[in-house]
Parts: sequence; structure tokens; C-alpha cells
Amino acid sequence: MKIPYSWLKEFVDVEATPEELAERLTFSGVEVEGIHRLGDGLGDLIVGEIVRFEKHPAADRLRLCTVHDGRGELQVVCGASNFEVGDKAAFAPVGATLPGGMAITKRKVRGIESHGMLCAEDELGLSEGHGGILLVEREVPAGQSLATALGLPEVVFELEITWNRPDCLSVIGMAREVAALYGKSLRLPDVAYAEDSRAAADLAKVRIDDAARCPRYTGRVLSGLAVGPSPGWMQHRLKFCGVRPISNIVDVTNYVMLECGQPLHAFDLTRVAGAQIHIRCAQAGEKLKTLDGVERALAPDMLVIADAQEPLAVAGIMGGGGSEISESTREVLLESASFDAPGTRRTSVALGLASESSHRFERGVDPELADWASRRAAALLLQTAGGAAAGGVIDVYPGRAELRRITCRFARVQALLGVAIAADAICNIFAGLELIVESRTDAACVVRIPSFRRDLEIEADLIEEVARMHGLDRVPEATPHATLIQNVDDARTWAVMQLRERLTGLGLREILNYSFMSERHVNQLGGEDAARRLVIPNPVSIDHAVMRPALLPQMLLTLGHNMSRQVANADFFEIGRIFWRDEAGQACEAERLSLGLMGRVGQGALDGRRSVSPAEMFLSLKGLLTALCRAQSDAGLRMAPATHASMEPGWCVGLWLGDVALGTAGLLRRGLREEWRIAEPVGVAELHVQPLLAAPRRRSFAPLATYPSITHDVAMIVAEDVQHENILAVIRKAGPTELTDVRLFDIFRGVAVGVGRKSMAYSLVYQSGARTLTDAEANTFDVGIRQALRQELQAEIREG
Amino acid sequence: MAEIFWMNLAEIDALTAEGVAGAQQAATVDAVEAVRIQYLGRKGLLPQIMKGLKDFAPAERGAAGRSANAFKDSITAAIEARLLALRGAAGAVAGPAFDYTLPGSWRGLGSLHPVSLVITDAVRIFSRMGFAVAEGPDIENAYNNFEALNTPAHHPSLAETDTFWLGKGELLRTQTSPVQIRVMQSHPPPVRIITPGRCYRRDTTDATHSASFHQIEGLYVDRQVSLADLKGTLAAFMRAMMGPDVGVRFRPHFFPFTEPSVECDFSCHVCGGKGCRVCKQSGWIEIAGAGMVDPRVFGKVGYDAEAWTGFAFGMGVERIAMIKYGIPDIRMLYENDARFLAQFG
Ligand SMILES: [Zn+2]
Repeated sequence: MKIPYSWLKEFVDVEATPEELAERLTFSGVEVEGIHRLGDGLGDLIVGEIVRFEKHPAADRLRLCTVHDGRGELQVVCGASNFEVGDKAAFAPVGATLPGGMAITKRKVRGIESHGMLCAEDELGLSEGHGGILLVEREVPAGQSLATALGLPEVVFELEITWNRPDCLSVIGMAREVAALYGKSLRLPDVAYAEDSRAAADLAKVRIDDAARCPRYTGRVLSGLAVGPSPGWMQHRLKFCGVRPISNIVDVTNYVMLECGQPLHAFDLTRVAGAQIHIRCAQAGEKLKTLDGVERALAPDMLVIADAQEPLAVAGIMGGGGSEISESTREVLLESASFDAPGTRRTSVALGLASESSHRFERGVDPELADWASRRAAALLLQTAGGAAAGGVIDVYPGRAELRRITCRFARVQALLGVAIAADAICNIFAGLELIVESRTDAACVVRIPSFRRDLEIEADLIEEVARMHGLDRVPEATPHATLIQNVDDARTWAVMQLRERLTGLGLREILNYSFMSERHVNQLGGEDAARRLVIPNPVSIDHAVMRPALLPQMLLTLGHNMSRQVANADFFEIGRIFWRDEAGQACEAERLSLGLMGRVGQGALDGRRSVSPAEMFLSLKGLLTALCRAQSDAGLRMAPATHASMEPGWCVGLWLGDVALGTAGLLRRGLREEWRIAEPVGVAELHVQPLLAAPRRRSFAPLATYPSITHDVAMIVAEDVQHENILAVIRKAGPTELTDVRLFDIFRGVAVGVGRKSMAYSLVYQSGARTLTDAEANTFDVGIRQALRQELQAEIREG
Repeated sequence: MAEIFWMNLAEIDALTAEGVAGAQQAATVDAVEAVRIQYLGRKGLLPQIMKGLKDFAPAERGAAGRSANAFKDSITAAIEARLLALRGAAGAVAGPAFDYTLPGSWRGLGSLHPVSLVITDAVRIFSRMGFAVAEGPDIENAYNNFEALNTPAHHPSLAETDTFWLGKGELLRTQTSPVQIRVMQSHPPPVRIITPGRCYRRDTTDATHSASFHQIEGLYVDRQVSLADLKGTLAAFMRAMMGPDVGVRFRPHFFPFTEPSVECDFSCHVCGGKGCRVCKQSGWIEIAGAGMVDPRVFGKVGYDAEAWTGFAFGMGVERIAMIKYGIPDIRMLYENDARFLAQFG
């Protein structure tokens, strides 16, 4: 909200510099977001009259103007065309300096001398507008200072008014705050005006259906008005506040709204059928063309201002074109009413229609304000548009609220704020804010809350008033007297933090994706059951329309995006939530871990140019998973062949920790990675997080071997379909208890081995906990193992 | 093997000089080893000298002991020095030096995402102050997200324009405050928790707004918790997070669930409060919203607002990360460019 300082000063005597005032306001709860100094540096500019003009002989888009500067006529070249002969405009004579620093000199424009410059608003630093030169009222004499003609200089504060303080959405509301801050009194304008012999109550009727939706409606009738432009001072202030001047009648309603916070509306009374105002809900099928020119279908819970026949306005939001003030308007019904906040909000959202009026009503407007504002507007209308006011007011007020009383205990102030504030100081703060201290004991006071402070409901609200007026800087920074608390169990959070650290220790970088993704990508990459998707009914964009049903799709996109930015080597993980609907339609979420490996995984620097084989990538991924699971869990990691929509057939395994399904891992389907021009295999996995946390390692000591071990090798040729795990199982089963370790150290294929066969070589480690083994004993062990390999796997043992 | 048939002090010192010279003159590692065996070995001179010490007159025994120690120490030192020299020389002549400037082959560490870094830091800092971590679902009901937090039914944040409604009264939480409600519903006071987590608002994405972002909120309910405690706690956190010298200030504000409500700024860590581009010349950066828990919120969870008071606070994780690490655009945090992520390893 914007407030001109000069307007504020009409209601409170405050001498502070704008910066000082801004600081005080910011630290008492109204944040000053900006201080705009309008008209600084306009000292050299004057008002010039355009006496005549013609087209520039050498340029179609330029005009050759004769400007009277109050002393004589000057020839000026101008690029704008928004003016007529007789208009008065902002004029910078030769020798002037513009606010931006530009010095005006006599110069030739396309061959013709220009003695000065007609200026647009942006050139004067008044706005961003460059829609032609700045015109002022024709009544202003040529040669007058431009600043005076524009009501400048002016300082405009830009304020952020919090939701709870609708009373501050006006100049007077802010003046009341300023008065309290500086210990001054608020000075309100005189709202008396002359009435004629007619009675307003005879000229129009008002009926309210629902007191909750419309607690009060006042109407005044003014006749014989002459519609025309409003006076310059009023137009200036409206513009400073960002409101466009329209006509004296409309401008007065806006001016009074900005001044006191009460939205007003003027109906052309001759266009109100039956001179009857009926505040009711819209009927099914009713429509209204609002002042912005849009025809709007009204729903039955929308409150409207209707005449005897049809809706004239959407209550508290916007009027309709039918009863709009026009040049021919002579008789006006001036509405000053209260509409409830929730209803106004609902209607505004439903219609997608907001206004200065709805902005205030949806936060709450004090019904007590309606009559004062109406008087103020009537007085200004008579002053600016002539005419006469009918006697009295039509005031239907079914929703008058009791004034609230709140008890404030002085000890509670100290308990809540942690600082001692004297009872007298507390009561003075209340008095300064026009909160009436009705009674007082040593321990507490009872405060009557004025109608304009509906936000004050409980004792804590009063204590907040004390805190902000006393000053938060005077509250010390204390160390809490903390007790030891049996708090919530956060072991899981710490375990996930440790999981993250382990993954970075394994060399992976953490990524973070949005929780939502596009339907297209889910279709392309996810493959999950479409009926189970959690679709966002009101997404910001179609790129974020579905809650992610898995982490892998975004992992693939992340790898792809990196590849397209020439990052070919990347090892990523993400821990995040996925979402779906269960059979019952219930929205569900769970935590997942995704892995993505691309490029020279785990290779040394000097291997860089060698491409990565599928086996190498798969085994890197497997090694990573094995290391991770060994650190996370006592339950062993198991794998079995599986299929997954995103993974290459034959290179995909299901994962289990003990008996608990952990997820799926494998190589990314070739077609998917080739879409992103990723030439080499990509390893991916998606795991449930919970199993990784469910069986944390139980650490305990076991005695270390004291006797030396003996290592023997065994090499064999087996058929291709014999798996490493088969060989291990046979060796372990046939081996003695002294066999403590079996390690694969070589695989070889070639002509010497034969087609469809492979050579596998293992180290067998024998060790006894009781004594030193002899080589002869180890040889005996070997015999049994070799025998078993021959028998069970048809292995051909390579001797020597 | 040399034997000492009789011994006096001069003899020990002479043997010391001899041994040192022998070590210094040895031409090979093997020659040095021979010197060691002769003088210090198990069957060498040293045991004989030690054995002979008892034969000295009591008056001379102290001096003899010192000479014996000097014998051992001097020759040991001479041997070690000679071995070092010989071995160094041997390395130098063994061929061209290995190029130790070649790249190392141990794979590097990965990195935590900046959002995780900030959350991890915050969890550790608050944990030192006795706060436990509580987490809750991203999908919430309207009661926990709004009503229990004293947010009026017509508050703008309930509107379609600000909240992702999923239907059936479900929504994507707009703040992590509902976790506070869940904890208070299930735990009697006192309570001291922080609640990091993901939140959602229907903001149009730009350099500083994201429809999905992270928050850390805190809640401390106990007997006699005051606004002064809130100031002390948040200020301590800011100093731990942003640097020990940052100043912290509080401005009155409004939130439906706290009364009084404040906003918290810290003095710009870039310019030290003098004013710069980061702090938009103000010297201060807004970082958190906070306040004393509204008694009506206590009412919703069945806490006795007369017996217990509490404070709550909340701040944006991405915002802290951007300020702390100088990240200019919130969207960079979700682009996952490996070169960007590597900067935080
Ligand atoms: Zn700064």
C-alpha cells in the first residue's frame, strides 16, 4: 500500500524524516518496503502551453510545436502525439537539467532547432510510463513550476500491511499508528455538510437479507451533481497511491477509501430500478457485466447489490456497468457498507476478480466506519461536484457487534516477553493505541477494544501490542532454562543422515529433484500403473502435474541433462519421497533411494580413454550396492534376475536384504540412454530406504586368528552357464572348516579353453584356530574340493 | 670378537670415538651393520661395558655409567645417520625419479546437496541445544496444515491459488508446521523439536521462488518459555550457521499461529552490515519468521496454555543455502548439474 507523507501529516503532527519514520514503522510491525521521493530534481521544469503545432518537414513522426513558456513563444521539436492545441505540458527549457542528469541545450533535430523539450513521465523520474508527454490541467498557467502543478515534491511510503491489520489499510489508520508511536493525537477532518429539505429515507429503500454477510448498509442521496474532472490535488494523491483518476464522483469514493479504509460505491440513482437496494445472494442464472467490461455468471452463494429487478454490483468487489456513473449522472446513491470477509474472499476467488475494495473487505472493514466515511464522501462530493444532499441517511445496521473486553495480566506480559515492563507503561501503550483501559488493579487491567481493532481477540494479542510498541530490541536475548526432555525419537533422521554421508563416502553426489514431474515423463520412463498416480488437480504447469511415482525417471533425466552439458562422468544418488494412491484411493508416500552411474565409474585417471563395458558397469554398481548394504545392515544382500521397464533385459536384478525386498538394479535400457546420446552403459538402481535402516549392524568382537594361513590356488575350466555363485557353493560345501576364504582372481576365455567354456581361478585360504596347518594337510583339503568340483560341475581342473 | 679384559673411563671414551668413526666410514649398508654388531650387538662391546660397570670404584661408577650411555647413544646415532645417507644415495642412483605429479588414482568423495548441507548443519546446531528432529508426511490434511494452526478459513493461503489441494481434504503441506501439531498431539509438554522437510506452494517459479522447497521449523514448549528465550535461541543459531560475528534483529510481524509474531533478520555476512548487493543495501537479510505459540494452537492440541508457553520459528532452507553459498538462482538447486554439485563437496 502506498501513502503520501503530506496526506499522513494532515491527520497527525509528525516531523520525522521519511527514513526515521520508516524505521519506527518497520520496528513496530508495519514494514516500509520503499520510500519514493517524487519530483526531486524537477526544479528547472515548468508548464508550457502548446500554442500550435505542425508536422516536422523532414520526419513524419515528429511534431514541430510552438510552446509558450509564460514569457514568450519557443519552437520545440517533439516525438509524441498525445496532445492538442491548448494543452499544458511538462516543459524543460534550454538550460534545465532533468532528474536523470540530462542537460537541455538548444539543438537541431532533423535540421530544425528545438528550444527545449516536452517531457514524458519516465524522463521526469515519476513513473516508468513513456506513453507520450506529461500533460497537466489546462487551467494551470503557462510558466508555473511543474512541481507545483503536480503537487510535488512528495514522499510516498510503500507499506506492507500484515493480514491482521486491515485498519492500517488507509491513511488515517496509519496516522493512528504514527500518533501512538510518537505520542501525538489523531486529528480527523470535519465531515459536516449542508442538507436540503428532502429526506434520504424517502428517496431510496435498502433491504438486507443476511446480516452475517452484510452487517451494515448506509446510503446517502445527492442530487444536482455535475460530473467532471476532480480537482488537481485529489487527482495527484490518487495517482500517488496508484489509483487512476476517472471523474469527480468516482474519485471522491476512491479518495475517501484510501483516506479512511471504507470502500464506497456511487450508483446513478435514476438507474436503480424502483430506487430499491436489495442486498441478497445471486439467483441461479443471473449475470452481471462488471465495470471492467467482463460479463460474469453469478453463483447462488455470491452476495450482490440488486435493485428491484437485477444485480447492480458484486457486493464489496465491483460495480456493474448498468448503474455506473456517467457524464449525464445528476443523482447519486452513495453506498457505504460492510460485507463479511470470508464471503467476499470466496466470491473474489471464484470470479477471479479483485479490487481495492475487495482487498479491504476480505481482510475486514469496521462497520462503525461506514457512516463517517459516507459523511466525508458526501461533503467532498458537494465540494467538488456541487449539488445538494438529501437529509439524513438510510442506515440499515442489523449486525452491530458488541465491543470486546480483554483482561491483560501484567505478570503474564513479563512471562511471555521475558522482560519486565511497568504496569503504567503497559497502560500508556494501550491508551496511545486508543485501546481504552476501563479498570485496573495491581495485577491486571481490563481493556475495551475499539471496533476498528477486531484483530485483538485474546490476552496474547494485547501482549503483542505491548511488545511492538515497547520495542523488540528492548527484549533481551536470553538462554532458555532448559530441562532435559524425553523428546521424540529422531534416530531415523540421524540414520538417514548417516546413509547420505556413506553414499558420499562411496563417491556419489547427491541430487535433489522436485516432488512432481510431467505426465509425459512418467509415461515415458515410469511405466507405473496410471490409475495409481497422484495427479495434482491444480498444477502450476504441465511439467509439474504428477507427484513422482518413482525416483528413477528423474535420475535418468538428470543424467541426460548432465550429458547434454558435456558432463560425461557422474555418479549420483537421490533420497526422496515418492507418491501414489493405494487401492482405496488413499494418497501414500514412501522414502526411496535412487542411484545413477554414468561414465568411467571407479576407473583410475589413466584408464580415462578406455570405454566402459556393460560387465564393468554392472559390477561397479554391484560393488557399490554390496559395500552400502554391508555398512547398513546385518541382513545379507541377495540378488535374482528381474525385469524393469527402464532396464536392459538380462542386466537387471531384484535386490533383497534378508527376506525384505530392497529394490531393483541394473543397466539402463539402451534405447533410453541413446535418446540422451549416452553411448556407454549406465548403472541405475531404485531402493526402498526403510530396509536399509531396519537391521543396523550389531557390532561385536571376535578373536583374531593367531596361527598363519596357507593359500592354495585352484583353476578350472567350466561351461559358460556355471555361475561364480555355483562354484563358491560347491567349494564351501566340500571344503573343511579350516577353509576361511575363497577368492576369485581370474576369468579367462579363449581358444585354449574352448568355445562355450571359461577358465575360473580361485584362491583357497586355509587356517586353523588351534594350530599351524601343514602344507600336507592343505593338499588333502584340495583333493576333496577338486573332487567335488569335477563331480558336481563337470569342472576340468587345471593342474600345476 | 673384541673383548675387554680391563676397563677404565678413558678406554670407554676411546671405544666410543672408534665406533663413531667406524660407522661414519662404512661404505655400504652391510659395513654399517658390521659396525653395529661389533659395538652394539648382543655379543659385542656394549654388553661387556655394561657388565664391567660394577667393577668400578663406587666414586667412579656414576661417571662410568654416563660414559657407557654416551657410547651407546653416540654410536647408535652415527649408525642411523650413515644408513640414512647410504640409503638416500642408493635411491638417487637407482634410475629416473618417479613422477609423483601424476594424477592419483583413488576415487574422490562425493558431495551432499547444498539443501542437505544446510539441513544437516541446522540439525547438528539445534541438537546441541537439545532439539530433537521430528518429521511428517508431505501429504497432509487441512486440519493439521491450517485449522489447528489457527489459520482462519478465509486466509488467502487456503485458496486454490496458494495451496496444492489433492482432493478429499488432502493437500501438499504448505509449511512443516503440521509436524508440530502431530508431535504435540502425541507428546505431552515439554517439547523441543525441529522439523525439516519439503513444502509446497503454488508459486510461479522464478529466481527466488519455487513451488517445492524446504523449511526448517522449530518448536519449544516448556514452563516459562519467553520471547527473550526465542531471541536468544534464534540468535545463537544464526551465529552458528552464518558466522560468529553476525548481528540479529527482530521486527514485529503477523502469523496466525503465533502471538506475538516476529520476523528475524541477520546482519549481512557479505558486507558486515554496511550495505551491498546481497542485502539490497540495507545491511540486513530477512531469514526467519517466529513468535510465541498462540494459546489457541495449544487449545487445539490439548495443552494447557496457562501452564505452558512456547515459541515456534520457521525458515527456508533454499534461502539459507543461497545466502550462505552465494547461489544466485533457486532453480540451480534443482538442475543437478554435476559441476554445480561438485562445488559443495
Ligand atoms: Zn550486504
